[in-house]
Amino acid sequence: MPVNIIVCIKQIIDPEIPASQFKIDPGTKRQVQGSHSLVISAYDQNAIEVAVQLKEKHGGKVTAVSVGGASAATALKSALSMGADEAILVDDPAIVASDQQGIAHVLATATQKVGVFDLILTGCVSGDWGDRAVPAFMAEELGIGCVGFVSRIEAKDGQVVLRRVVEDGYELIEAKTPVLVSIISDETNTPRYPKLKDIMAAGKKTIPVWKAADLGVDSERIGAAAARALITDVYLPVKESKCEMIEGDTPQEQAVKLAARLRELKLI
Amino acid sequence: MEKFHGVDYYEIEELLTEQERLVRDTARTFVDEQVLPIIRAHHRAGTFPTDLISKMGALGFFGANLTGYGCAGVSNVAYGLMMQELERGDSAIRSCASVQGALVMYPIQTFGSEAQGDRWLPALARGEAIGCFGLTEPDHGSDPAGMTTRAIRVRDGFLLNGAKRWITNGTLADIAVIWAKLDGEVQGFLVERGTPGFQATEMEGKFSFRASVTSELTFNDCLIPEANLLDKAHGLKAPLMCLNQARYGIAWGAVGAAMACYDAALRYALSRIQFGKPIASFQLVQDKLVTMLTELTKAQFLCLRLGRLKDAGRLQHTQVSLAKRNNVAIALDIARLARDILGASGIVDDYPVIRHMLNLETVKTYEGTHDIHTLILGRDITGISALE
Repeated sequence: MPVNIIVCIKQIIDPEIPASQFKIDPGTKRQVQGSHSLVISAYDQNAIEVAVQLKEKHGGKVTAVSVGGASAATALKSALSMGADEAILVDDPAIVASDQQGIAHVLATATQKVGVFDLILTGCVSGDWGDRAVPAFMAEELGIGCVGFVSRIEAKDGQVVLRRVVEDGYELIEAKTPVLVSIISDETNTPRYPKLKDIMAAGKKTIPVWKAADLGVDSERIGAAAARALITDVYLPVKESKCEMIEGDTPQEQAVKLAARLRELKLI
Repeated sequence: MEKFHGVDYYEIEELLTEQERLVRDTARTFVDEQVLPIIRAHHRAGTFPTDLISKMGALGFFGANLTGYGCAGVSNVAYGLMMQELERGDSAIRSCASVQGALVMYPIQTFGSEAQGDRWLPALARGEAIGCFGLTEPDHGSDPAGMTTRAIRVRDGFLLNGAKRWITNGTLADIAVIWAKLDGEVQGFLVERGTPGFQATEMEGKFSFRASVTSELTFNDCLIPEANLLDKAHGLKAPLMCLNQARYGIAWGAVGAAMACYDAALRYALSRIQFGKPIASFQLVQDKLVTMLTELTKAQFLCLRLGRLKDAGRLQHTQVSLAKRNNVAIALDIARLARDILGASGIVDDYPVIRHMLNLETVKTYEGTHDIHTLILGRDITGISALE
């Protein structure tokens, strides 16, 4: 049975830049992009991979949706190159500076406009702010179930079996569709390299740009004014290290003292 | 290993199209994940990582700028960026793709029959077949017109006799594009692996290009069917057209090797502490780093303009000569400066620098030596040939 999937992706500044190049704008309290490249948040790439694999197995359609500026079109082209069928960009200055609930509201209205879907996939954690709340807020808004930290999805008989990673192993959860699932990385969902032919094909596809007004977004719920979470400060942690010499006349005595010190520091 | 973020002092990224960036990113990730973790071992062992061939084929790296027959048809700038990344991994990887696309697929498509294209190009594009290109001979390198490999007409086709040397992919190849004189004119022939009288032997003792297969080919009364003649190729111009395609890729590839060396040197200079501070603090080291970055940036612009001219159909072969000559020379200089900055660490393969430095000696020599390109350019600007 075909599976129609919407994948929500976020474009972020490459989180793997050297720490020495990480800069924060004190005014906006956001990271300065500078000349750093923009990438799709890592777990969102896993989510695209899961969606494309499901489509390849069962048929259906994969639609990638992103909220962001014009540059996010590149992230969507990348998703198309990986195998998504369609892509939609939600770009509106009114959305900028929305908090997680505001973004979830925008994404929820966007997915409703996309049409009928069986699954909404997102990454489990955003690669910039470490956010993990948007999927749950979205599901709440859409009135559908939400399962987080899923590594694998099997579709059968109108429902899905979700392999959810927990501390000491995994759980298998059967869920009725439609359902929203946040994806964690796994050996089975390593993002594929876009093939050159697929990049060329993606280049020919048009990405519609939707505004907040196109979606029926409640303007009271988006933007900085509506944000319930206020970021008061952002700073780079300062790493400090110091060296402590363990004295002792014999190696045995030094070892005993070392073990005692490590225990005192709650390191062992 | 820390991820490579590119070298882009002049925000050249902004001048690339979305597709060009995505192609570059695919090649960059491929190199980071598939090439760099294994290349040192292959360089040490003197072996080519053959399992990368099908992976590169699946991604569309072979003949990527050609159209039809399953090729991706990317822009020449995108193709160049791909070559840049492949050579950032190792010259051997870029050379494999260069030979396959520019020296085997290009002549089959340009000079071959439809039947030859149908038979070979899809398989070559997928990496299911490997090709090599035989022009250089033991006694004829810079002077290919003097080649002694001969074909004569016989009842069932052509009888080929002679030898080719310094042939990349020779022992791996399923199909060899061989240039030989037929009735005094240079012509191209497709010689299939296993043809009686055709032998490929791997050359040993290389201190450069160790992860590449370099071979000697011999043809001893080798019967080539009529159907294997590239019948639209007449004269030396045909193989030189192929070399022009390959040299274009080399100009970009050299930038990749230079990037790898600059990146390694910069990281090393920032982390290596001497006299109580990073060696990057010292003026002499900063001078070297700035020289490297300056030359690298100039080479990047040369490539980008070269690619745009190629895409516009206005590229002159002399412009390719200038870029190949310059970019390989500066890449070698950058590699040597990087090796210097790395001190003793510069001579061990814990870092990529010495491997690139050694490879670039080959790149400087093949596909037209530095000096031959000087004379090609000298002839172009003065109208006087120093070669005659």
